[in-house]
Amino acid sequence: MRLLVIEDERKTGEYLKKGLEESGFTVDIASNGIDGLHLAIEDDYDLVVLDVMLPGLDGWGVVRQLRAKKRTPVLFLTARDDVEDRVKGLELGGDDYLVKPFAFVELLARIRTLLRRSPAREVEQLSIGDLEIDVIRRRVKRAGQRIDLTPREFALLHLLAERRGEVLSRTQIASYVWDMNFDSDTNVVEVAIRRLRAKIDEPHALKLIHTVRGMGYVMDTNGHG
Amino acid sequence: MRLSLSARLALIFSLIVILSLSVVGVILFDALSDRVYVQDDLNIVLAARHLRRLAAELDTTAGIQEHQERLVSLVLGDPALAMRVEGADGRALIDYDPPHMPMIDLRATPATQRVVSEQVQDWTSTGGVPARGVATMATLRDGSSVKISVARSMSDRATLLDNYRAVIWGTVTSAALAAVALCYVLVRRALAPLRTIAASAHGITAERLDSRIDVSRAPLELHDLAEALNAMLRRLQLGFDRLWQFTADLAHDLRTPIANMRGASEVALTRDRSTSDYQALLASNIEECDRVSRMIENVLFLARAENPQFALHRAEFDAGEELQRIADYFEGIAADKSVQVQVSGRARLYAERELFRRAVSNLLANALRYTPVGQTITMAAAQSDSGVAITVQNPGECIPPGELEKLFDRFYRGDKARSNSGTSAGLGLAIVKTIVEIHGGNAHARSDAQGVTTFELQFPAA
Repeated sequence: MRLLVIEDERKTGEYLKKGLEESGFTVDIASNGIDGLHLAIEDDYDLVVLDVMLPGLDGWGVVRQLRAKKRTPVLFLTARDDVEDRVKGLELGGDDYLVKPFAFVELLARIRTLLRRSPAREVEQLSIGDLEIDVIRRRVKRAGQRIDLTPREFALLHLLAERRGEVLSRTQIASYVWDMNFDSDTNVVEVAIRRLRAKIDEPHALKLIHTVRGMGYVMDTNGHG
Repeated sequence: MRLSLSARLALIFSLIVILSLSVVGVILFDALSDRVYVQDDLNIVLAARHLRRLAAELDTTAGIQEHQERLVSLVLGDPALAMRVEGADGRALIDYDPPHMPMIDLRATPATQRVVSEQVQDWTSTGGVPARGVATMATLRDGSSVKISVARSMSDRATLLDNYRAVIWGTVTSAALAAVALCYVLVRRALAPLRTIAASAHGITAERLDSRIDVSRAPLELHDLAEALNAMLRRLQLGFDRLWQFTADLAHDLRTPIANMRGASEVALTRDRSTSDYQALLASNIEECDRVSRMIENVLFLARAENPQFALHRAEFDAGEELQRIADYFEGIAADKSVQVQVSGRARLYAERELFRRAVSNLLANALRYTPVGQTITMAAAQSDSGVAITVQNPGECIPPGELEKLFDRFYRGDKARSNSGTSAGLGLAIVKTIVEIHGGNAHARSDAQGVTTFELQFPAA
């Protein structure tokens, strides 16, 4: 997957390139709107990560001219989060909008969502190691043992299992599981994870739910640090 | 053209002065000229009567010429008087006619009729001299008739009245000018307190909001204005003070996470560390960054919400269901503390759901922070005619009334030692209040003797 990052802030560009490359993408960087637009039109990228405030030609201008030629998905990055700005970005043909500062895992999640051509198919049966999740009947078994979960605990487990190997931030989890879309300073997610772990992982030697310090949580058979 | 208030008032007053003085002048002038004419007419009439009586004592027209001196002497008292006596054939028997005033042929009163002032006629003789006169017939002893005319040259009177008129106009004009000047000066002096107020207002800047306009010397009419300005200044000063305080608190609270990041990073760099140490440091730095981000997000939210153009995306929903959802969200934390959260009531609410959740979440987070282990928090939604009331009630410590009002202030903390605006303790309740207020409602807190604290959000009816 080839990504184009149009970003004038050198540090931001560098860490985005590094992070995205380590996540398996091929990344090109353009440091101003004119070069970025040229690259986006001439080359074939799977997605463009576009900063709004750019020298020369700003992000609005880039997306407007790009949309005249191509349908490459565009993810806006900006330090401004006025509702009008979001609306403008999406109206001009942007596909998503992320406000700085953002969690890197969130950026990854958004990029993956945009790149997923077809909507993720609802899997009926999920299994990670000896954990089995029956999505339809909302039943969970580990090592053949039935585990009782509350509806929220099931939703949390389902989310982590579905995104196996993908780090999910606290904000993302709060949004998906409880539909709470504001950054709360409470440790609701930590507590919920801890309680889920007590039921899923505690009696077993192989831990499935892992904490990625400072970033969030990931579910997999092997640890993520 | 915009005239100053002083000039406008001076102009109006001088117009009034000119108008009234003019009226007085015209009346006085008329009265004088009447007086002058009445007196002169009487003299003319008296002379005519005398002459007729004297003529009646004479036998023939010849006698008239004979007694010319006696007859003429009757008009000598006034040098402006002229007289003529004509016979029936129109020949002048006596023509005492000062050279400046030729007599004309006046309409004569019959000899039998009394001569009165009303019969006096006026004309302007050929030399342009104004004149008044009367004529009467007289019957002599022999039965013959003569016509006696007496006239007066009015040029001296005209001169007198002209002078008088000039004096009146002169007086009116100078009085008016004096009135303008005097009025201008007086109005300016009367308005001096306004300039003083303007001068003090000029001296007020953001740094000197504590200065006030001196009310004691302001006249009664300007007292209210000055008081109103001072009240405005007090409100501004309060707002500015709170803003300063807010900025200072914010800057102060930003220092903590930055100091943590810097300090921890510096310590880590002083020597080689293990990978896990570096990882721990970076993770800790991310946590501090999250704190700073949250602080910025909260402050920006408050700033945006205060913009009058803040757009609400309202929808109708059941407030009770939302309370239950929020209680579910905090279920884990509550269970950790062995605190029960009870939800009751239903109410149709027309509001922005996201903001409502945020407000109630902040309230519940706050309640969870202060509820002792094992106790119960109750949340309720209630509908009434006036709107929807949301209450969050928790047992805890009694809060003194003075502190209750401050709970919703930005960066207010019951516990002064704790400082962290990234947490709800700093801005959470201020955000609650702001959210309710942009929905047109209000937020209150009360605390009873048993230490039960109740937060109530009152949303107006849709």
